[in-house]
Amino acid sequence: MAIHKDATHKDVVCPFCGLGCDDLTVRAAAGGLSVRSTDCPIALERFAQARPAEPPRAGGNAVAPEDAVRAAAGALGASRAPLVAGLGADVDGVRAALALAERVGAVVDHAGSEGLYRNLAVQQRTGWIATTFAELRNRCDLLLVVGPDPAVLHPRLYERWVAPAPAYREPGTRAVVFLCGEPLERTREALAGVPVTVIPGSAGEVGGAVAALAAALADPAGVTDAMGALAERLRAARYAVVAWAAAAFEGAHADLTVERLVGLVRDVNRHTRCAGLPLSGYDNVVGANQVCTWQFGVPLRTALAGGAPVHDPHRFAWARFQETADAILWISAFRPEVPAFPAGKPVVALAPPGTAFAQEPAVFIPVGTPGIDHAGHVFRGDTVVALRTGRLIDRGLPDAAKVLNAILAALPQEAAAC
Amino acid sequence: MLTKLSGGRVYDPANGRDGDAGDLYVRDGRIVADPGPGVVPDETVDLSGRVVMAGAIDIHSHIAGGKVNIARLLMAEEHRAFPVEAEGLCRCGGGVASPSTHVTGCRYAQMGYTAAFEPAMLPSNARHAHLEMADIPLIDTGGYVVLGNDDLFLDLLASGAGDEAIADYVGWTLNATRALAVKAVNPGGINAFKYNQRRLDVDEAGPFHAVTPRRILTALAGAVQRLGIPHPLHLHGFNLGVPGNVEATLDSIAAADGLRLHLAHVQFHAYGAEGDRRFSSAAARVAEAVNRRPNISVDVGQVMFGQTVTASADTMAQMGNTGLAHPKKWAMMDIECDAGCGVVPFRYRDKAFVNALQWAIGLELFLLIDDPWRVFLTTDHPNGAPFTSYPELIRLLMDRDYRLARLAELHPALPKHTILGELKREYTLGEIATMTRAAPARILGLSDRGHLGPGAAADIVVYTDRADRKAMFETPDMVFKDGRLIVRDGVVVALARGRTHVVEPAYDPAIEARIARHFDEHMGMKLAHFRIAEDEIRGGDGLARHACRPGAF
Repeated sequence: MAIHKDATHKDVVCPFCGLGCDDLTVRAAAGGLSVRSTDCPIALERFAQARPAEPPRAGGNAVAPEDAVRAAAGALGASRAPLVAGLGADVDGVRAALALAERVGAVVDHAGSEGLYRNLAVQQRTGWIATTFAELRNRCDLLLVVGPDPAVLHPRLYERWVAPAPAYREPGTRAVVFLCGEPLERTREALAGVPVTVIPGSAGEVGGAVAALAAALADPAGVTDAMGALAERLRAARYAVVAWAAAAFEGAHADLTVERLVGLVRDVNRHTRCAGLPLSGYDNVVGANQVCTWQFGVPLRTALAGGAPVHDPHRFAWARFQETADAILWISAFRPEVPAFPAGKPVVALAPPGTAFAQEPAVFIPVGTPGIDHAGHVFRGDTVVALRTGRLIDRGLPDAAKVLNAILAALPQEAAAC
Repeated sequence: MLTKLSGGRVYDPANGRDGDAGDLYVRDGRIVADPGPGVVPDETVDLSGRVVMAGAIDIHSHIAGGKVNIARLLMAEEHRAFPVEAEGLCRCGGGVASPSTHVTGCRYAQMGYTAAFEPAMLPSNARHAHLEMADIPLIDTGGYVVLGNDDLFLDLLASGAGDEAIADYVGWTLNATRALAVKAVNPGGINAFKYNQRRLDVDEAGPFHAVTPRRILTALAGAVQRLGIPHPLHLHGFNLGVPGNVEATLDSIAAADGLRLHLAHVQFHAYGAEGDRRFSSAAARVAEAVNRRPNISVDVGQVMFGQTVTASADTMAQMGNTGLAHPKKWAMMDIECDAGCGVVPFRYRDKAFVNALQWAIGLELFLLIDDPWRVFLTTDHPNGAPFTSYPELIRLLMDRDYRLARLAELHPALPKHTILGELKREYTLGEIATMTRAAPARILGLSDRGHLGPGAAADIVVYTDRADRKAMFETPDMVFKDGRLIVRDGVVVALARGRTHVVEPAYDPAIEARIARHFDEHMGMKLAHFRIAEDEIRGGDGLARHACRPGAF
């Protein structure tokens, strides 16, 4: 099935972690894809995961694509409380998933929405002051990184957005402070030449540290510790950026930590300019949320079952609703991984070839990966920039949108549930 | 297939028809000339006594893009309170001031609108805006690309780039982002806000790039003229919402120095600082200036009462409004060396003096500006009010008794501060057709929209002539999009797909080397990936190109 033309692709868009790197060199050969231009572990791993195509399966047996689609439609059509989640797909894939979810009355969520939702919850409750990657790169003179080093999740963050000299700021003025998170070795290397301060602490201490910092900012008198000095630096900065990856925060109410960070940014803006940079964006989670928000007026974690959309970030988180659901459609076009779902309910999985399952799903339909098998739109983690990925190889795989539209077409023609 | 729409009272100002009874012929989605007595139409629709107009066009409505989604998120309460169930062909969604895409398209079409234009598309967010606009059913769309606060442009100006290079950059941007027009938002101000400046005077050099707002404004207006873009520079002016800002507004008009300039939501820029409350109407001064200068056009940005959300690229102005947020939450964003966005929920209260006077100022502007070809009906959706309040606004313009009755219900101090009570003008149906159809199409360069002459797209709206103009314009009897009946008596009966209107001005591609260097060195993105390909717009099906005419304007 696999049609590999030996080729070297330049300026490849990487769709995986949300940093929006678009400068990759990827070699396509009989053995698969290999990234040649960066040591980013995410890019290296994800491009290398492109395995040869395999046929769809129903009940564990290889079946024709149309039979797999019919089986999927059967499972979803019979369901009374389906979950359509994962949503790891490009914009067209998400559109198709949402249309299908509307028809069958499903709850929708993205696999990686936990970190995103810690931010969204605060954005909905209080709003915030935020910025984007190019603003960070070109205007920021003080970057405060809070919590575990986001480079674990977004390896090229510093190389691409912090190490280059700011274009619209006096030269040589950038410094980086790490609060409650030790910078990785690769971070230190990327920031060689940039003054770095580390204020140690564990992930669990972030909330308290930020509260102390906010207090020091409000009332610097008598604060002589590291927080006092940091508060002073934030006041003295011309354009400070506070970055965090909420997915790495600990605890059941990590959104409250985000709320403190957002409050801190707002406070610093009384003195100078400061903006937050909430980092997320794996597997187009930001794009999925954007499409869901523009189509329904509400973000992910929404039920499309009762006529109108009902958004409930608690009840309709996929990890919770999978217990309630009586059928699951899981879309994971970006990675050959699918969670282990509760037993006893039909699972329809759309994922790349070679996906390993803890338990064989009722239906498995291999799909292509945006940026590898087909062009597609993905959003960067800073929510503003959407990129169009390229297409590197032809494994003969359908894209998720095509399969989802086929499943929708195979359902009995009834009015949408929502 | 030939369809005859017979006997309607046709209001088609572009072709000089003002309510005379006549027939229209539609073939393959277009209006065609009367084929003569020998030809029998396949279908005849009797419209005797009905009012017939072209589909309405909203020249300034924030319908898509990042700030609209932020508004939806912030308006979580609205989406809980106003969910919208799927109704026939219209998908479920929600919202009033921050409607979802299907609600946007369906509500517009149900009111007889067949096009709405997003007036603040940031270059870096253009792809998102286009993806979202493609999900708005039934109506045509397009975007005005925001320039004038982007660091590259300011850098070009500050380093002495000539008019030609500036025009090349603007032309390149319009092509790359698939835009219809150029918008400037508080020129220089958004950039200055990134350096913590909360105010920037028209002749004050910016904090980093040493150029003045006046220079930015004239450079952009000049580039638009040089490129021959049909729509003049679309300006969101200085000091939005600040008492006394009329001076800056009049200054902008003067700065244009004869070049064509469109002042957006001019109501928010027509404030004096006089009287016992240090807030006064300067509508008469603005109207007088507009009446005197045929190079100036405006849309009003009428305020209507109730809960809404304000969303603007003007972070400098919006930061100043955060204290007025209702509910008390707001979002600001600095964006990608382009511009920014500020989203502040707001409730206009009819018993609040300031809000009531804003309402009156908007109506004064409508009634004092003589030429309906140069004043456009907008609420700056959702900033002054949701677009769904247009029928009410039309009634206010057409029905003086109604206007006076409303005026009497507002803040008791209002009558002393507005001349609204003395203004006798009532808009005619022909003038409404001009300001909502013929004039928007003409000023955007949409030669085949906004009129009902042969060759025009068959976007046609049929109304029953009712004394209650609000009821009349709220629910047309029939709406045709490209010849297809899409709405009957307020119900969407077919889902047409809209088009995306763009211009593609010619420019010297030599400028791309300079822009590519900027992308490589500073933007962390390749120029090739920034540019939006033709097949990215509505899947390659639905781009409508309009001619640029260098030197014609």
